[in-house]
Amino acid sequence: MTTPFLKIEGIRKEYGPVVAVQDVNLEVERGEFLTFLGPSGSGKSTTLYILAGFDNPTRGDIKLNGKTLLATPSQKRNIGMVFQRYTLFPHLSVGDNIAFPLKVRRLPKHQIDAKVKEMLRLVRLEGFEDRKPAQMSGGQQQRVALARALAYDPPVLLMDEPLSALDKKLREEIQHEIRRIHQQTEVTILYVTHDQEEALRLSDRIAVFSKGVIDQIGTGPELYANPATRFVAQFIGDSDFLPCQMLHSANGRATVSVGGAVFSDVPLHETGKSEGAALMLRPERLSLTREPLQQRLAATVSDITFLGNNVHVATSTLSGDPLSVRLPFGHPAISGLSRGDSVWLGFEAASAHVFN
Amino acid sequence: MPSFVALPEVATVKRREFRSTLPALLFLALFFVVPVIALLLRSVLEPQPGLQNYVELLGSSTYLKVFFNTFMVSAVVTIVSLTIGFPVAWTLAIMPSRWAAIVFAILLLSMWTNLLARTYAWMVLLQRTGLINKMLMGMGLIDKPLALVNNLTGVTIGMTYIMLPFIILPLYGTIRKIDPAILQAAALCGANRWQALTRVLLPLTVPGMAAGALMVFVMSLGYFVTPALLGGTSNMMLAELIAQFVQSLVNWGMGGAAALVLLVVTLALYAVQLRIVGNESEGGR
Repeated sequence: MTTPFLKIEGIRKEYGPVVAVQDVNLEVERGEFLTFLGPSGSGKSTTLYILAGFDNPTRGDIKLNGKTLLATPSQKRNIGMVFQRYTLFPHLSVGDNIAFPLKVRRLPKHQIDAKVKEMLRLVRLEGFEDRKPAQMSGGQQQRVALARALAYDPPVLLMDEPLSALDKKLREEIQHEIRRIHQQTEVTILYVTHDQEEALRLSDRIAVFSKGVIDQIGTGPELYANPATRFVAQFIGDSDFLPCQMLHSANGRATVSVGGAVFSDVPLHETGKSEGAALMLRPERLSLTREPLQQRLAATVSDITFLGNNVHVATSTLSGDPLSVRLPFGHPAISGLSRGDSVWLGFEAASAHVFN
Repeated sequence: MPSFVALPEVATVKRREFRSTLPALLFLALFFVVPVIALLLRSVLEPQPGLQNYVELLGSSTYLKVFFNTFMVSAVVTIVSLTIGFPVAWTLAIMPSRWAAIVFAILLLSMWTNLLARTYAWMVLLQRTGLINKMLMGMGLIDKPLALVNNLTGVTIGMTYIMLPFIILPLYGTIRKIDPAILQAAALCGANRWQALTRVLLPLTVPGMAAGALMVFVMSLGYFVTPALLGGTSNMMLAELIAQFVQSLVNWGMGGAAALVLLVVTLALYAVQLRIVGNESEGGR
């Protein structure tokens, strides 16, 4: 068995009585772009800070190429990091900021100059060398921060919500840049965000954090198509949950009854929590008809929202649970549809999930 | 966005602000500027019109020594205050705020204690049979008591103590404004503690240090009580000299001339400070 490039083994972090990270286990491949996705307080940032060496775990270990990192202080870990806030040194020019990690490593001047040039080219900020950070926009500052973090060729680059202070348009632009820089440099990136769209757009794999543990790790499509927990199903893509009755289950498939209709062969996830069985449906995977059909859920339209190329139909099932349908604009089933109409909703068993 | 409340023009606001500062300006003019001008006039009019007071003041080695003492002591007090004040301000800034509040209370309490009382306390501590000399002799570090008072050493010690809060408070403010993430970034960039201090932290605290240092230096130049009590008769400072001209020698001309020299130096330094603070707000975040 080969040693994984970066391995997080059973990390736990307690702050007094508060458990910030419960038990995080993770293996990262060299060159991978892995995102920690989760709401605030889910332990994703704490895990990143432990990797950076700003905090020590209460328990567990971090191994880079099979060797523990915990005994090494931050300044010797050789890890790069881009922070949420702007952390360029305000008294230094852009060029001197990028040169800083090289100067403290006492590299010869010609090498530093060449590297600074290379980094400025990488983040497409040639000619900005003599500017002070205060003279640059937030997006430009974060690109310089990226250049500074990559200047010393770190094996791992940590990014802690680096785009959260930027507006949406700029954010997408820099996401693009980050993606390009990742492909160009092949550096291993661990990226923290609470924005699922950002995670899906950037990452090779996503680790979904919830309450101090990783609920599931996988590629975006894997998490979307096969969520392991209700939390992941809610966090990646849109979803509705209907309480249902388990009639039969075998080999990871379930037969359930909802509002009088019976659905069989639905993928089943045993979560071990006693929340009762729930059927998860995605709005874009539902079909809608105006006539009653077999194997369909009866519902009443409560609202119709036009969203550009999509139309969002909010309905309410007979038991009063909300259930949304998203259909392309101009779909025949919704022409003339109005609030209060009765509709019948169907889905393919494989696109739904039962959580028990 | 249209505003429905009519906002007063900037010029009007400025005029109003000016009007509200008028009483203070009048007060200053009446009780500060007029007497100062009167004193300065006397420096060129007494005993007869001319610059002879200035010629005497700047031409005599006795008086030049007083100027030298004044600048020397002020400079040493400023440097020592900075050296002691920086670690204190830094510790205060990173200390849990509950503890910092206690230290601040002690600092302020000492500032609010009567200056004379504090200076006499230093006399007791520093005199030949005082606590410090007794302790040093008890430890066997010295054979005979050090002359710590009635000379410039005593003045420097006493004034450093009094000036420390004026360094610590602005420095504390500057250090608190530095985002800890900047120092974390420096550490991850590979900077060890010394490099983080000299390449990041110190440069970022320069505005606070400059503000505090100039304040202390300028205050020290004109300080009277501490030099008068802890200093000796042979090594005078400028404020003592002015007091002597006016009170003992009743020579208003020389006193006025010395006061003008002090005022000019102070204003020049104030202009330097304005320039530095101006640059900071221009380039700062």
